[in-house]
Amino acid sequence: MDFVKSEHLVYDYKTYNEKSEIITNRAVDGLDIAIPKGQFIAVLGHNGSGKSTFAKHINALLLPSEGKIEVNGLDTKDEKNIWNIRQSAGMVFQNPDNQIIATIIDEEVAFGPENLGVPSDEIKARVEDALLSVNMSKYKNSSPMMLSGGQKQRIAIAGVLAMKPDCIVLDEPTAMLDPIGRRQVINTLLQLNKQGITIVLITHYMEEACLADRVAVFDKGRLVMDGAPKEIFRQVEKIKSLHLDVPQVTELCFKLRNRGVDIPDDILTIDEMTDVLLKKGFKNKVEFNGNKKHYQIPEALIEVHGLTHIYGKETVYERVALKDVDITIGRGELIGLIGHTGSGKSTLIQHFNALTKSDEGCVLLAGVDINSDKSRLKEIRQRVGLVFQYPEHQLFETTVFKDVAFGPSNMGLEKDDIEKRVKEALEFVGMGEDMYEKSPFELSGGQKRRVAIAGVLAMRPEVLVLDEPTAGLDPFSRDEILGNIKKMHDELGITVVLVSHSMEDISKIADRILVMNNGSVEIFDTPDRVFENVKRLTEIGLNAPQISLLMDSLRDKGIDVPKDIFDTDTACELLYNNLAGVSV
Amino acid sequence: MNITIGQYYPTNSLIHNLDSRIKIMGTFLYIAAVFIAKGVVGYAVCAAFLALVIRLSKVPVKMLLGGLKPIILIILFTVMLNIFFTGGKDILWQHGIFKISVQGILLAVKMAVRLIMLVMGSSVLTLSTTPIQLTVGMEYLLKPYKKIGVPAHEIAMMTSIALRFIPTLVEELDKIRKAQMARGADFDTGTLAQKAKSLIPLLVPLFVSAFRRADELAMAMEARCYRGDINRTRMNELEMHKNDYIALAAVLVLVFLVLALRLVWGL
Repeated sequence: MDFVKSEHLVYDYKTYNEKSEIITNRAVDGLDIAIPKGQFIAVLGHNGSGKSTFAKHINALLLPSEGKIEVNGLDTKDEKNIWNIRQSAGMVFQNPDNQIIATIIDEEVAFGPENLGVPSDEIKARVEDALLSVNMSKYKNSSPMMLSGGQKQRIAIAGVLAMKPDCIVLDEPTAMLDPIGRRQVINTLLQLNKQGITIVLITHYMEEACLADRVAVFDKGRLVMDGAPKEIFRQVEKIKSLHLDVPQVTELCFKLRNRGVDIPDDILTIDEMTDVLLKKGFKNKVEFNGNKKHYQIPEALIEVHGLTHIYGKETVYERVALKDVDITIGRGELIGLIGHTGSGKSTLIQHFNALTKSDEGCVLLAGVDINSDKSRLKEIRQRVGLVFQYPEHQLFETTVFKDVAFGPSNMGLEKDDIEKRVKEALEFVGMGEDMYEKSPFELSGGQKRRVAIAGVLAMRPEVLVLDEPTAGLDPFSRDEILGNIKKMHDELGITVVLVSHSMEDISKIADRILVMNNGSVEIFDTPDRVFENVKRLTEIGLNAPQISLLMDSLRDKGIDVPKDIFDTDTACELLYNNLAGVSV
Repeated sequence: MNITIGQYYPTNSLIHNLDSRIKIMGTFLYIAAVFIAKGVVGYAVCAAFLALVIRLSKVPVKMLLGGLKPIILIILFTVMLNIFFTGGKDILWQHGIFKISVQGILLAVKMAVRLIMLVMGSSVLTLSTTPIQLTVGMEYLLKPYKKIGVPAHEIAMMTSIALRFIPTLVEELDKIRKAQMARGADFDTGTLAQKAKSLIPLLVPLFVSAFRRADELAMAMEARCYRGDINRTRMNELEMHKNDYIALAAVLVLVFLVLALRLVWGL
């Protein structure tokens, strides 16, 4: 039986412009989709493709402008069905903080059943069960503020489970989480699906989509691809044309096939790839140097010596954020900074421009202690530009131009100079003159973020530090921003420190990678050296690029492949040299 | 952060497990007792009662003392006022309108003790009761007034959401402040007008964010079938147990004792 069934579903967002005219924006455009009971379906699509709008229809948070949608056999347009629909199709949203109502976990989970009028003894039993299902029972009496993002999302899932739903709809539940949190959430979903709950998962992460029974790809409010993950991802070119990604091994196979190697096109996982290669009798016969390059660290620009930082010193909340950190960043380097949530990344970068100070240790900028002279703080903050996480949340001016001008104006520059810098910065992030007079609040997510980055760039910093600049963006906007950053580094010679959760992003562009773990430096070296320790990276909760994991898996099977291959092009070269002409 | 209000200290204690209605009423009665107390003995009785409650609540004294920090200035001001401006028989020192007398010092000490006991007493309430329990208690106590149009449920829900989001917004404000400082904003120097203007880059993003959060929260609440007070139950329906009656009796005894001390013995 179909749990969700839509027939020619259309939804128009209606807004008013300054002249009070109605502007219609069609988000979903004639969607026909049926989701059977018990299925795990992943919905993909770039931002603005209509996925979220569709999700909100399943929960009757939005009602169709045209066409209809039935949930559990009930038409959402019929008002008396609404509470039954919301009970049977629960919903989890992206931002964990904005869906938590209570200050204690068990009261939070109880909120749904309380609204449904469930008797109190039954609520207690349901709360116990729900917390057990998401493996959070021991936090029953804790405050949600104390939990990690992944734990908060599991609480949100428990909150839905306590309503005894048939289906859970999740709108990018992992977008704001680190790899550990993401794994926790996805494992929970797989488990619930096994118990017969229908899962509708909207995501930007292809590796999550690979785990689903079915993948639906949305574009411009329509369903453009629909099928098993293998069916979808084998169409590498089509997926890329929709601004989406495929898993690295799938891309590798695609590249190999293009060069005439006979290899299946529907491989998604490392295990499958390893099996295929073993079956082919793959051996590393050719001498191959991998990515090993001699790397010379340039003259030091930022030096950190013995830095220790403790939050809430001598209180019950005392927490060591940084422990005796010693690092040197060279002029003109592009550094990738990686580590799980709470590893001290954010605290470390706030020391680079003296926003946070510590009693122990010091930070030198071009050989001078940045805290030695308080009157130089402004200058330090101009020289070391810091772009915070979700920087678009700090936009405040009436126009894009004025907002970007905020930094330069604070530096006390002349009007002409400010104008020049603003234009230059906006051009650099690809915002044309037609955008200057727009309100920053009417831009798309990716555009807002680029404006926010331009706001820091306009100060012409020597060092640009970016805290997860691609968080929550779709693959297309992500690549755009990463491209901008790479260009700033290459063309303007800016030293860049890029904080990210994604090893794959970082491995593509970083000169060196700094891995933080529990407030200490774990490794600080060139990418090839860092990825030699794939197993260690996994141990401390980080994701290595899929190609590194593949090489590691091959080595486990006794095949001698270089340790330092982490990108598809090099891997393709290695496999091609050894497989060309071999057939199964 | 030193916002003790709304900061719940999770533990399992006799006080934590009391009915929130009793705790709210109890706190009001205790406050009444502190105001009734006149002499040293009265104060001692109140202090002993407070000490007993703190002990039973298992809340660390350190946290309670931390809650006093924001009102230290008020206490000091009150003490100064009382020391210098209370007239009395036994003048120790005098200069113009300023005089220090034994009675003045005594009064000052009394006022300080009274303030400290009030703040600590109400802190025990917020530290031992989750905001939700607190608001549920409020809702129950307000219920009789629903008939005359007091929106008891709505007030309670609004209060608990406000309490839930205070720490989130404080964190957010800190982040915005740092981000604008990274762009060269200066919040500390300048004239009053400049300072006021420098708040715009803080307040605009904070309000935008608060509205965005409100919007998302409302959607999340709707998705979980929230529809006001209609057909709603509670996981922890309030029920009076033996301990609750004992607690209520204990507070009443305190009030009567302090009243008797004052009226009968004048202590």
